[in-house]
Order: sequence, then structure tokens, then C-alpha cells
Amino acid sequence: MNENISRLMDGELELGELDGVCAGLKRPDAMATWTCYHVIGETLRGTPTLAAGYAERFAVRLAAEPTVLAPRPRPASGAATWIFAAAATVAAVTVVGWTAMSVLGDTPTAVAKAGEASAVNAARVRPSAVPADFLLAHQEYSPAAAIQGVGPYLRAVGTQVTDEPAERP
Amino acid sequence: MLAPAAFLALMVVAPARADDPTQWLARVAQAARQHNYIGTIVYQRGNRVETSRIIHLNQGGKEYEKLLSLDGPAREVVRSQGEVRFYYPDAKFVRVEPRTFRNAFPSLSPEQQKSLKEYYDFKIVAGERVGGVAADIVVFEPKDGLRYGHRFWSDATTGLLLKARVVNERGEVVEQFAFTDIQINAKVDKAMVEPSWPAVPPDWTVKELSAGDVAPHDTGWAVTRVPPGFTKIMEGFRKLRGRQNPVAHLVFSDGLVAISVFVEPFASAPAPTGMQSVQGGLNIYSVKQDDSLVTVMGEAPGATVRQIGNSVARR
Repeated sequence: MNENISRLMDGELELGELDGVCAGLKRPDAMATWTCYHVIGETLRGTPTLAAGYAERFAVRLAAEPTVLAPRPRPASGAATWIFAAAATVAAVTVVGWTAMSVLGDTPTAVAKAGEASAVNAARVRPSAVPADFLLAHQEYSPAAAIQGVGPYLRAVGTQVTDEPAERP
Repeated sequence: MLAPAAFLALMVVAPARADDPTQWLARVAQAARQHNYIGTIVYQRGNRVETSRIIHLNQGGKEYEKLLSLDGPAREVVRSQGEVRFYYPDAKFVRVEPRTFRNAFPSLSPEQQKSLKEYYDFKIVAGERVGGVAADIVVFEPKDGLRYGHRFWSDATTGLLLKARVVNERGEVVEQFAFTDIQINAKVDKAMVEPSWPAVPPDWTVKELSAGDVAPHDTGWAVTRVPPGFTKIMEGFRKLRGRQNPVAHLVFSDGLVAISVFVEPFASAPAPTGMQSVQGGLNIYSVKQDDSLVTVMGEAPGATVRQIGNSVARR
């Protein structure tokens, strides 16, 4: 099943397999795997993680949005199509969000593990690591750094330790 | 018509002091070293805000400094004479660096001084209060899109920098810090600038960094499209700890900021390339050129840093 979920995410499933795998996603363990893979993927791509409770807050705000019931008088361009497509996407996100949250409530450890695994991978591929010795060598030439006094230290205190570059051979 | 007293007051408010950008920079850098002060500083980059406590002591010409982060993990930076220690208790990690900058304000070359005047509008505008202290506002407004705008608030009496802001070409704040309160010439004793960990706990990792000595040298590398206003102020090889081959280091400056170019053999640097990242107002770009890895970093917009990185070539 896990491999099928992975293939589903990569768009590699045959059309005939699709219904079966989607039906299988109704099982909580399969849903947890789906969420886990997405967390890993997003961390690797550097997408910021959604804060806890995002789905609830989103649902509340969406519910508070006014619903326009009046039919639009004949759209002049393709804009209306775009709006309907966007609305459909929002609805899909909400459904997935709710499903994920209800499943996640039961399996916190699985998600924590997924977070751990993805953090390790992300550290290895993270492109933003600045060689700290380069930074040090650079600072002595910067007039702006010289007058800012603690400025460069402030950056260091705020930096995640995981940003520390690995020693290069 | 102004009354004589009011006219006199106006003259006092806008003094002719340090109307030259180079002199002004030197004065502010000097003040940062000279005075004892205790304050709370707020640092903002992008949508992140961090608050720290800063204590600075100059004792008979010897400088000590302690920076404590007030939110999040209780991290510390302690500077003592020639060494800076970064304590990360959350990661059980200490980084030790020699203090390379701020030993002295880098004296600006004639080209840098010329660039400062040609590429920035320098002006001292009306003052305002920062952290309860009356400050002069000094603006370096860029005349082109190749550099950021800088705005500094300095104590009208001592010249100490109280607030600094970097803005991009759209006027958005890239990075800024400001004292929310400060006691200038406060009574500071040595114990106040000691680290909270006199000895590093045995289970912590200590990493020592060195910028390596640099010997002025023709590296064989050149930047073919140097952005206007930037001139090369240094070129040499740097021997860095943990690297077999010396790294070529070229520095370009417009008098206010610097952009460094590092070139090292690609084989010894298995880093991803064509990547751009930002650390506050510092842009970093790395790109592969033939069999070498070029890393460019500087307090300039991404496009400026990229232009330099993409035009590095063998001479």
C-alpha cells in the first residue's frame, strides 16, 4: 500500500489502480502514511510547515466568508471559470485538511517520526547553509558590519543551529 | 520671520558635524567600541522579530561584550578581547571565532570614498528619539537599484548607533535593529560580561572557526562585470581550517557595504550550486564555474550578488 501511495503522489498510478488506492486511503494508517510522505516532501522542498490547528482556523474563516448566491450575469471572459476552479480547490483543501486532522489526532507519534526523518534529510540537502568561515572572512571588510557593532551577532543568535554548515572535507 | 532665539535653535538642531559620510561612519564605529552601555535590542528580518539584551564594556581599551537572546532558547554571544563565543544551549553547541572585524573600522580607500559620494545621497535629516535617547537620522539613499538603502539613527551626543534599517528598492524593510532602551555610559563591571557557562559542559560540542590568514596575491580569477560603484579592495588566498586547498577571496566594496567572492575547487566542495539564500540583509549565491565553486556574499540585493557570481572567470 505504501508504495502505491508514493506512486499516487508521483502521478505514476495506472488509471485502473486509482480507485482501489483512493479507497484504501480511507484507512487511518494509510492516511497517516499519505500525510507523512507529504510532510517529508514539503520539508525537502523547504515549504514552511503549517502551524498546528491550521485546518480548524481555515475552516472557521472559510465559514465566515459570505457566500454569493446570486448567479453571475454571463461572464465576459474566462475569469468566472477560474473562480469556480479556485473554489473547488479550496473545498478540496478543506476536506483533505479535516480528514488529515481527524486522523492525525490519533497518531501523533507517526507524524513526529515523519518530522524527524524529514528534518534529517532536509539538513543534508539544505542549500541555504552559509559556510560560517566564509561569513567570518567576509565580515572584516564590511564597513556596514563595523558600525553596526552587534548586528552580525544578532543574525547568529537568531539562526537555527541546523543552519550550521557541515564540515567540508 | 524667525525670532533670533528660534533661528539659533534651528542651527543647533542641524549642526555641521560629520557632514562627510566617511567621517560619520568612522565616528559611529569608534563610539561602538568606546562606550559602556546596557540595553535591549530588537532585531527584525523578514517577518521574524527577536529581542536581545546587550552589555558592552570597555575597560582600559580592552573590549568585552555579552549578547543574550531574550526569546526562544537562551542563547548567548560573549566577546572577550580577541575571541567571540556563541553558546547554543538548546543544541549543546559552542562556536568559537576569532574576532576579525571591529578591531578597527576599515579605513576606506579613495575609490570607496568616491563611490560613497557618487552612488549614495548622504544626508542628515531631522532627529527623533530612539530608546528614549535623542538621535540624529542619517540616510544613505542609493542612486541606482544595485544597492540597498541604509538609514541609521545615532545618539546625538556620543554617536553610538541606536537603530539601523536596510530597505530594498521597493522601500520594504529587509532588516533592522533598534534599541528599545539603552543606558549609555552605564556602570558595567566585568562579571556582567562573563558567559553563563564558565566552563563548557562536557557533553557539548565545541567548534572552532578560523577565517584564516589572507595574503594579498593575484588569484588568477576576475569578475568581468563588476556592478558600477564597486571597486576591488582585496584579493588573495585564504587557508581555511578543514580545507585542503586555499580558497581564493576577492572583495568588492562601494564604501558602505562589501561583497566577497570565494572560489574553491569544486571537488572539495560538494555543495549544491546555482542557489541563492538570504540571511537578513546578506545575500548569498553559489554557482559552478568550470571545475570551481564560486560563492558570493554581500549586503546587497540578490541581483547584484548574482551578477558578480555569474561573471567570475579566469583571467
